[in-house]
Amino acid sequence: MHIQELILRLQRFWADRGCLIGQPYDIEKGAGTMNPLTFFGALGKKPWNVAYVEPSRRPADGRYGENPFRVYKHLQFQVILKPSPAKVQDLYIESLSALGIDLAKHDLRFEEDNWESPTLGAWGVGWQVVLDGMEISQFTYFQQVGGLDCRPVSAELTYGIERICMFLGGYDNIFDLTWGEVRTDDGIFPVTYRQVRQREEFELSAYSFEHADLNLHRTLFEAFEKEGWHLLKDLGHFRSAYEQALKMSHTFNVLDSRGAVSTTERPGVIKRVRDLASGCARAYLEHEEPETANAAKNANEKPSTKAEGAK
Amino acid sequence: MSETRTFLLELHCEEIPARFLKPLTEEFARAFDEWSFAHKLRNEASVVFSLFSPRKLAWRLILPGEGLFTSQSDQSETQVGPPQKMCVDADGQPTQTGLKFAEKWGVDFSSVRFEQPAGKKEPCAVVTITKKGRPTIELLAEALPKLIESLHVPKAMRWGNSDFEFVRPIRNVLCLFGNEVVDLTVDGVSSSNTTWGHRLHHMQHPEPIPIGCPEDYEAALAKAGVVVSFEQRRQCMEAQLHDLAKAVEGRVVMDAELLDTLAEIVEFPMIVRGEFPKNFLELPKEVLVTSLKEHQKSFCVEDEAGQLLAYFLSAANRPIDPGSAAEKLVVAGNEWVLKARLYDARFFFAEDRKAKLETRLDKLKNLTFQRDLGSYLEKTDRIMQIAEQSAPKVGLDAGHAKEAARLCKADLRSLMVGEFPELQGIMGGEYLRRESAPKVVWQAVKEHYRPVGAEDGIPFTQEGCLLSLADKLDTVMGCFAVGIIPSGSKDPLALRRAGQGVVRILWEQGWALDLMELVRIALGVVGPKATKPEFETLTALESFFKDRVSYQLEQVGYAGPVRRSSLPVGWSDLVGLKARCEALAAFSEDPRFESLAQSAKRIGNILKDESPEPAFDPSVLQQAEEIALATRLTSLEAASDHASRLAALADLAQPLEAFFTAVLVKCEDSALRTARLSLLHRLRLSFLHIADFSLWQ
Repeated sequence: MHIQELILRLQRFWADRGCLIGQPYDIEKGAGTMNPLTFFGALGKKPWNVAYVEPSRRPADGRYGENPFRVYKHLQFQVILKPSPAKVQDLYIESLSALGIDLAKHDLRFEEDNWESPTLGAWGVGWQVVLDGMEISQFTYFQQVGGLDCRPVSAELTYGIERICMFLGGYDNIFDLTWGEVRTDDGIFPVTYRQVRQREEFELSAYSFEHADLNLHRTLFEAFEKEGWHLLKDLGHFRSAYEQALKMSHTFNVLDSRGAVSTTERPGVIKRVRDLASGCARAYLEHEEPETANAAKNANEKPSTKAEGAK
Repeated sequence: MSETRTFLLELHCEEIPARFLKPLTEEFARAFDEWSFAHKLRNEASVVFSLFSPRKLAWRLILPGEGLFTSQSDQSETQVGPPQKMCVDADGQPTQTGLKFAEKWGVDFSSVRFEQPAGKKEPCAVVTITKKGRPTIELLAEALPKLIESLHVPKAMRWGNSDFEFVRPIRNVLCLFGNEVVDLTVDGVSSSNTTWGHRLHHMQHPEPIPIGCPEDYEAALAKAGVVVSFEQRRQCMEAQLHDLAKAVEGRVVMDAELLDTLAEIVEFPMIVRGEFPKNFLELPKEVLVTSLKEHQKSFCVEDEAGQLLAYFLSAANRPIDPGSAAEKLVVAGNEWVLKARLYDARFFFAEDRKAKLETRLDKLKNLTFQRDLGSYLEKTDRIMQIAEQSAPKVGLDAGHAKEAARLCKADLRSLMVGEFPELQGIMGGEYLRRESAPKVVWQAVKEHYRPVGAEDGIPFTQEGCLLSLADKLDTVMGCFAVGIIPSGSKDPLALRRAGQGVVRILWEQGWALDLMELVRIALGVVGPKATKPEFETLTALESFFKDRVSYQLEQVGYAGPVRRSSLPVGWSDLVGLKARCEALAAFSEDPRFESLAQSAKRIGNILKDESPEPAFDPSVLQQAEEIALATRLTSLEAASDHASRLAALADLAQPLEAFFTAVLVKCEDSALRTARLSLLHRLRLSFLHIADFSLWQ
């Protein structure tokens, strides 16, 4: 199946089941979870179903476009369902059928895989969904985002688009995938992933592994942080401040892929991103749902044995 | 006796993490047993039977005699009220107080008796009331939700709108008492007499599966594609693994832990066999086995010589007919994924070998071993010193020992170990081998983490053993010297395991090297890092290693009395300890042993408050029995090894018995008494070469 066909089918499927179709957010990020549609959407009480594609950058996974399985940037298809429906697993399975996967002929398992994003102060529990031995999706029940308890809980489904396409077509090389077809007066021209992405992979890998100016990135990290706290603290602007947190996160990833962050500094640097992101989460909730924010504050002040995992 | 009925509870959940299945079912089973016995709902000390699969936690009582009574039996209770004089007036008529008491317990005043209960000074009003036993089904309905809620869930989650916490969302509750539904609700899910089968089964049969009674449960689920017994799944998969390997003239590279995991992650036991391209067989066997296990939960297949074949065995969570479309797709899918994984492994293997292993040493500087003890580069330096100083003591080459130590941690900075931490050491050894390092060096590096656990063997080579000792000693000494000492269940750096490794290596190698001598060498090396006074560290280490040695004796099968009596005599010379334990264990089977041990205890008692000189004049001795004993003492003291010493000891049993029968040690004549006490003292000193018999019990 072509990449674009897979995306279209997933969008159609989830739109038909009551999801808004969102768009990727135009700032570099490591995962679809960082899109404000998820980060803020998962907070508070309001019902929220949304689905969108998110290009996700992992500088350390860059392989100059030479490795047939790993890339600097891949596509995630992200679904958020809040509150998580009782039949959420069945819905997910139906979506696989919509992609033409006949489960009567495949082996499907949900294997424990808990998700945590230390930079977002977010974690959840769930599974990797394994089809015939291959991980095709992540499935997470969000427990906390931005350091705040998620009540109600959202279910997050993340499909690895390239992987699923490769798997369905039996491709041994990601760059052999077909993105789609271009039809002109002169005929039909299939366009491969190679045509669309390989040069980009090469240059972005070279950039993050060789050419990125580390001093500049260190300076940027500090600057984004300062700007973020200014926006948040002085103006109460959590949306623009959150963008700064996203930029900090990506800048950190670039530095990290070069081994420029030592193991001892690492937790401290991650905490700086998390602090800003968590500040944005609290400000969002205070702005959107003051009562919920107050209740959360009170609950946090009372030491709860349950929250410590005593149960 | 009341009639009994069978019982079944099943929580049908979304996929529960494999590692929690067993602990959760067992914890609930214990809580349920405790509850049902406390409420006198069961006859015998049977235990509730637990079953589980990824989506099911279930418990049942179905065997004859195992069930629960249909109701509690009636219980009578005695209630004591106010004193008699307050309850009846002078005319013998009930007072207000008396009537109120009767009313309170719902009886007529005529049923009130007057008795003097224990602890009261005068007769009081007493009634006996019968509490009707409640039906079990009601008790179950009340208790089960509480038992479920009080389960200890290590990584609990919430879902949907509720605040309820559990391991994964509960989607169905099946609860039967006989053929009746026990009416209960868990987080809004009400119980019924139905459940769900395998996902493939629901697709074809959208209706829930009715379960008539607890006895039908397993069979009904089996029909719906779920084998709910873990043991059954495991057995079945094990048999399939062997068959499928045999069919390609190989055998499974068995891994019990992996088999357990597979049996925990499927609802239906099914193994499939796939192939991978033969050229991946160039990778070291350990890499293939680890990659297949960690990434794909698959087994490798090897030939008779232990060479891997290009096959793998994976689990599928469904029935698969041979030759079916499903078989082709499932196998092809697994092969595809495995190829991608092996491609990655080959990439790491090639990248790692682009530069010599030692080029990574420098990067160890940035890898922290422990805050106070510094980086892995510093640790490397210490291991080198310990290895170099210890090598001559066991007759090994100090140069090789130092070189192996220098390189042993370098692979922590390789891509392969980054991906598969469990290949640490193994990769370093493999890379060195390919760099044509001396065999004694690469082998030592390769196996220096062994023994990895109680099941694992010690390194094959002496050089490997020495390096392993040096590494583990540095870890243990270093941590003790900076105050990290295991206590109770707290042992974050697994120091006990490291210490046990040290003891096992010395024990199994049979090196004549005193453990405390090694400890002192290592302490000298870690000294500069120490934050605690040395005597404190040394005292803590002695007690730590003494425990490890005692555990070692236990592991190799020495009974309590052997351990207790042999350890106090000397525990750090393991070769000597081993010889003494062997001799002692053999001797304890000897018919003369019991009498000797008794006599030894008697000697201990007699000498308790005495401090005799060892030297005595044998000519003072008078009685034949004591003279005979003195002669025996001479031959006992002449014995130079444990075997002849024990032989002499055994021969001593009868003369000693005779001595105690005939001779009164503490006699009036003081010269004689002194000589007798000295004789016994010398005997005891000889015994103590072997063991302290007074601790034999």
